[in-house]
Amino acid sequence: MPANHSTAAFPTTRREFLQASGRGIGLLAFSHFAPAFLVNSAMAATTGPETGRPILVLVQLAGGNDGLNTLVPFEDANYYRLRPTLGLAKDKVLQLSDTVGLHPSCGALHELFHDGKLAVVQNVGYPNPNRSHFRSTEIWETASGSNEFLSEGWIGRYLDNACTGQPADDHDPVGIHISNGVPQSFQSHHDHPTFGLIPGGGNRRENEENRQLLESLVKQQPPENDNAAFLKHTLMDALVTEKKVQRVIGDYRPSASYPSNAFASSLRNVAALIAAGLPTRVYFVSLSGFDTHSNQANQQANLLARLSSGLAAFQEDLEKHRLDGQVMTMTFSEFGRRPSENESRGTDHGTAAPLFVMGSRVKGGLHGTAPSLALAANQDLTFSTDFRSVYATMLDGWMHSSSQAVLGGKFGALPIV
Amino acid sequence: MQLKLAATEAWQPLPASEWNEAAARHLLRRAGWSALPADVVRAVPVGLPATLDRLFPSTGPVFAQPRLVANLQEDTPDFARKIAASASDGERRLVQREARERTQLALQDMSIRWLQFAAQPENAAYAKWILFLSDVYVVSAEKVKNAALIWQHFDIIARNSLGPAPALAKAVSRSPAMINYLDLNQNRREAPNENFARELFELFLLGEGHYSEADIKEAARAFTGYRQQYGVFRFAPRQHDMRAKTIFGQSGLFSGDDVIDLAFQQPAAATFLPKEMVSFYLSDVALPPGYLEPLGETWHASGFDLRALARNFFGSRIFFAQEFRGDFIKSPVQFYLGLVQDLQLNVAPLPRQVLVPLRQMGQTLFTPPNVRGWVGGRTWISSATLAQRRQLVESLFAPIREDTLNADEQIELMAARAAGRSAFSVSDQLLAPISRLEPTAAADALVANFLALRSAPEFRGSVRQFLANNSADEAQRLRRVRRATVTLLQSPEYQLC
Repeated sequence: MPANHSTAAFPTTRREFLQASGRGIGLLAFSHFAPAFLVNSAMAATTGPETGRPILVLVQLAGGNDGLNTLVPFEDANYYRLRPTLGLAKDKVLQLSDTVGLHPSCGALHELFHDGKLAVVQNVGYPNPNRSHFRSTEIWETASGSNEFLSEGWIGRYLDNACTGQPADDHDPVGIHISNGVPQSFQSHHDHPTFGLIPGGGNRRENEENRQLLESLVKQQPPENDNAAFLKHTLMDALVTEKKVQRVIGDYRPSASYPSNAFASSLRNVAALIAAGLPTRVYFVSLSGFDTHSNQANQQANLLARLSSGLAAFQEDLEKHRLDGQVMTMTFSEFGRRPSENESRGTDHGTAAPLFVMGSRVKGGLHGTAPSLALAANQDLTFSTDFRSVYATMLDGWMHSSSQAVLGGKFGALPIV
Repeated sequence: MQLKLAATEAWQPLPASEWNEAAARHLLRRAGWSALPADVVRAVPVGLPATLDRLFPSTGPVFAQPRLVANLQEDTPDFARKIAASASDGERRLVQREARERTQLALQDMSIRWLQFAAQPENAAYAKWILFLSDVYVVSAEKVKNAALIWQHFDIIARNSLGPAPALAKAVSRSPAMINYLDLNQNRREAPNENFARELFELFLLGEGHYSEADIKEAARAFTGYRQQYGVFRFAPRQHDMRAKTIFGQSGLFSGDDVIDLAFQQPAAATFLPKEMVSFYLSDVALPPGYLEPLGETWHASGFDLRALARNFFGSRIFFAQEFRGDFIKSPVQFYLGLVQDLQLNVAPLPRQVLVPLRQMGQTLFTPPNVRGWVGGRTWISSATLAQRRQLVESLFAPIREDTLNADEQIELMAARAAGRSAFSVSDQLLAPISRLEPTAAADALVANFLALRSAPEFRGSVRQFLANNSADEAQRLRRVRRATVTLLQSPEYQLC
C-alpha cells in the first residue's frame, strides 16, 4: 500500500513530535500530563495495523434534497400533476427500472447503478417528521425519534461503543469531517480523537503558516502546571494529526480525475487519507445548497451533477488503489421536499426522500418501496423506510458494531450489505 | 493553592496604585467577555470604583422578550385547550408537535437574540452576571419545554439580580419554569415532592453538609401548593401544608418564604454564593479554607445585597492577584462572544453558524446539562471541542458563503443587514492599522489586544518572528497579519482569560 512509507517520514506520536521539536525535553520536563500519553503510546505500539477495516463515508446533502426529482417516478401521472413545471420528462430521466429513474445530472451514478455498485434506498424518513432544517438535521445526526432530544450523535455513540477501553493508536483520528464545524453525528460521550478540515482545503500555504506558528506557540513552556499547560497538551495532539493529514493530502496522487469543485476535492482528500492507511473509520463530507424554494431546476441540476461526478471519481480512485472493498459511502439529507411544487418554481420543506449507498461491496439496486403520490395539494410523503434501519444496516452489516447498543433500539436491517 | 495575600487582606479594595491597564483588562475579560482597547483606555483614568459603577449599575439593561417568545406565550393556553379538547390521540399529538416546534424555534431565536444583547459592550458584564445567577438557579429548556417560561425565568433573575439575595431566591421559587423544572407542581400536602427543597439547600443557598435530610423533608412541606399555569404563579392554599414544621432546629408555621429566610440565617449562606462566584469568575481551584469568610461577613452585613457582593468581589485585591491572571478557561459562550467583541463583529442571525458551534463546544444556551449547571474549567476542553474552537475562528475570518445558506437563513441575513448589522466576518479595516506597524509593535499590539498572557516575552517573540518575514507589499502584509491573528485566536492562550 502506498500508505506506510508516506507516513513514516513525520512524527506520528506526541513523543516523536516533542523529540523532533528540539525543545521537547523542556516540555516533557514540565509536563505533569506526560505519563498518561506515554503509557498510551507504548500500548499503541503493540497493536497491529488498522488497515483493512471497513470504513464509512457519510455525505451530507445539506438544505433538504428534493427526492422526487432525484429519483423520478416517471410513470406516475400524479408526479406530473404535482410538478407541472419542475416535473422531469420520461425521456430525460436515466431509467433504473420500469417506473423510476435518476435525474439527468446523475449520469455517473446511473453507470454505477448498472455496475451494481449503487444502492438506492427509496422513501427514507421517520415518524412525525420535523420540517425545520436545524431540528431535522439534529434528528438525523443523533438518530433520535422526532420527539426525543439526544445530544450525542450516532457516530459518536458508535465510537463510544467501539473504542472505549482500547488505547487510541498514536492519537490518529477515528473520525474525520470535512465540513464547517464538527457535525453533531460525531458528538460523543467519551473523548475520541476526531479531526476536521475546512471544505476546499483552504489555502495550503496559509494552513502551513498557521500550523507552524501555532506549533511554535504551543512549544513554549508555560511557567507551571496550569491550565495553559493543559491546553497546550490537548492542542499538541491536534497539531500532530494536522501535520500528518496535511502531508498525506499534499502528497497524494489520485488515480482518477476529480472535477474541480470543493465537494470533489473533499472526496479526493478522503481518498488520500484512506490510502494512507489511517485508522479512521468514519469520514463526513458535506455538500450544501439543496434548500431550493425557488427556481429549483438549475440549482438542483448543478448540485446533483456535482454529487454524481464527485462520487464517481471517488469510487474510481478507490478502485484503482484497490481500496474499494474497504469503503462504503452513504448520502443523507435532513428531509425531502414537498411533492407539490410551489409558486416560485421551487419546492418547500417536506419529509421522506431516497438516499444512496455506494461501494464495491454494496448490494446494488433499488431497495425499499416507492412513496405513494396519491396526495392532495401540499400533502407530504409518508416514509416507508426508517432512516435508522439504514444506520442499523451499516452498523451491524458493515461496521461490525451493535446497532442496538448504538441506536438504543432494534431497527430492521435492509439487504444492502 | 498558596496565596500571597492573607485571608484578612484578600477582600480589601484594590489600592488605586495597582489599578492600571493590565488590571483593567483582567477585570473587563473576567466580568465581561473581552477587553476592548477603547474600554481599557476609558477605564484606567476613571478608576476602579467608577468602572464597577458602570459594569454593575443599580438597574441593569433589559433583555426584551423576543417576538417569537411573546407569540408562543400568547398561544400557550390555546395549545393547552386544543390538547385537552382533542378527539383522538392522533389529533392531540399533532397539536403537541406544533407546540414543540414553536418552542424550538422560539428558543433558537431567543438564543441568537440573547447573544446579540450580551455582545453589546455596555451589556456584557450584566449579561454575564445573569448567566452566572442562572448557572446557580438552574432550569433547562430540555425539561421545561416552553421557551416563554425560560425567558420569564431569566427575566425574574434579572429583575432581582442586583438587590437582596433572599428576594431573588423567593422570586425564583415562584418562577413558573422552576416550578416545572424541580417538580414543585407535584408538591402536594399529602405527598410532598422534595426535589425543589433539596436543590434549594444543596445547590442554591447552602451547599452539601449544611442541612439534614429532616430539614429537607420539612422544608418541602413549606413549599407545597406552589403552582403555575401558562406562566402565572398561583398559590393553591388547599394543597399547602399549613401545619408546623421544624427546620434548622426552629419550629413554626413556616411558609416557603420563611424557609428561605431561615436558610439565609445559616452561616453557610454567607459563603455559598461567594464560592460559586469564585468558580464562575476567578479560578477552577477553590480558595484555601478561611478565605471566603471575610467576604461572607461583609455580604451578610449588607443584607445579602447582590450588587454590593459584585462590587466587593470585583473590586478586591484577591480578584486582581497575579496568581489568577490569565489562567481561567473561557466557557464556549465567553469564547464566542469574546471573539465577536475582539473582532468587532455582529452575532450572525444564523443558528447553524452560531448555535451549532456553541453546542459542539459544549454549551447550549438555556440548556445546562443538569441542575448543577455547567461544570466549567477543564471540562470545556477536549480534542473535539478545541478543534471546534479553532474551526469557529477560521469561519469568522471567511465571508459567509451565501450560496450555501438555506432560504430562511438568507431572509434572516437580509433583515439583519437592513437593521445595520452586517459585520459577520472579519474586515480588512480591523487589521490594516496593525499591518502598517513594524513587526515588534504589531506583535505587541496583537498580543495586548487579544491575549491575557502570563508568559509574554517568548510568545511575542514567536509572533514577531512570524511577522518579520513579511513583504513590503501592503496586501501581502495584511494577509500575513490576518494569519497571525487567526493563529493567536486559536492558540491555547486565547482560550484563557
